[in-house]
Amino acid sequence: MSASTQEKSRPDGGQQMGVYVYGIVPGDVKLNSGVHGVGEPPGEIRLVRSADLAALVSEVDITKPLGTPDDLQAHVDILDAVITDTPVLPSRFGAVLTNDEAVAEELLDANHDEFAGALQQLEGRAQYVVRGRYVQQALLEEILSENPKAARLRDRIHGADPDATRELRIQLGEIINNTVVNKREADTRLLVSAMKDHCMASGPRVATNELDAVYVAFLMDADQVGELERVVQELSDRWPGRVELQVRGPMAPYDFVGTGG
Amino acid sequence: MTVMQSGGSRGPSPTGLADVIETILDKGMVIDAYVRVSLVGIEVLTIDARIVIASVDTYLRFAEAVNRLDISQEKQGLPGLVGSMQEDGAKHKTKGMLDAATDKLRDYAGNGERERQGARRSRREVE
Repeated sequence: MSASTQEKSRPDGGQQMGVYVYGIVPGDVKLNSGVHGVGEPPGEIRLVRSADLAALVSEVDITKPLGTPDDLQAHVDILDAVITDTPVLPSRFGAVLTNDEAVAEELLDANHDEFAGALQQLEGRAQYVVRGRYVQQALLEEILSENPKAARLRDRIHGADPDATRELRIQLGEIINNTVVNKREADTRLLVSAMKDHCMASGPRVATNELDAVYVAFLMDADQVGELERVVQELSDRWPGRVELQVRGPMAPYDFVGTGG
Repeated sequence: MTVMQSGGSRGPSPTGLADVIETILDKGMVIDAYVRVSLVGIEVLTIDARIVIASVDTYLRFAEAVNRLDISQEKQGLPGLVGSMQEDGAKHKTKGMLDAATDKLRDYAGNGERERQGARRSRREVE
């Protein structure tokens, strides 16, 4: 594969290939060869270096849309593999520049100090995501035992014609839904507060499942990961059969780099 | 520094596509904010993350889940029924509220226990 991507033209004169940017890493990173990224066909991952920074890139055909499951997976696989060895500023999915020169000059050189500073802050750190799901049966029993109104509504709909009790069902469901939202907020606060002294930053995520109990990203120093495991174990012990907890990571700090770095 | 790219050595938990989408959707550094001139506009297929929006359907699903919960507690003396209820319970735990609730709505729409059981069996065969 050629070391540099030039603008390759289509017969009609328009640009055919672009440079997909996965993220920015320190310039002393070495890559294994033969790893492929997004696009069809997937281009080989390589580095565009400038000064002490480098961008993880691959060539893509810009006339074809991106975003297949394979593309999304490739994007995170590459960044999550890199983070085990070196800090990385992950790009949002879908960033393509015209050529290597643009990556080196417009991206790396023009924003050098900001990127270098951010990478320095991320040295030895990675993101972990804690997700907990309520066990439905335990959750519903908990709500009925705590809320007499919900328990009364349950008694009234039970065995009754669903159509005739529709309004009561809606009332009951709304109470349960609102209670779950409140429990989610309280349980999320508990997790974030338990992690307060054991992480560099935390970022709660939006719930994407009705039974989400906690869903929080943490930026962790490598030596804090043991504390994360301890906190998660403590919460598991505190919520037996109530919340199923899962930790994912290390991954690139997606939740902690935003617009404007 | 060396970057390892072997698939087997990555994080401890395998991730599904939904997790991947939730991880990269609206997250990560926005390159547009740093580069303007040489940015290429490339078509990105629509990527949707499910977000939880409570609606009447949500309320009815929760209510039906509570209704069923009640049944499972009262019928504990009947071994045949208890077996199937426990199976249902396990399914809820592994599939999550949304999927389980969809099943319930489908069941709910069907007429009579016999038909519901039939439908459930055929789904399992597919799975």
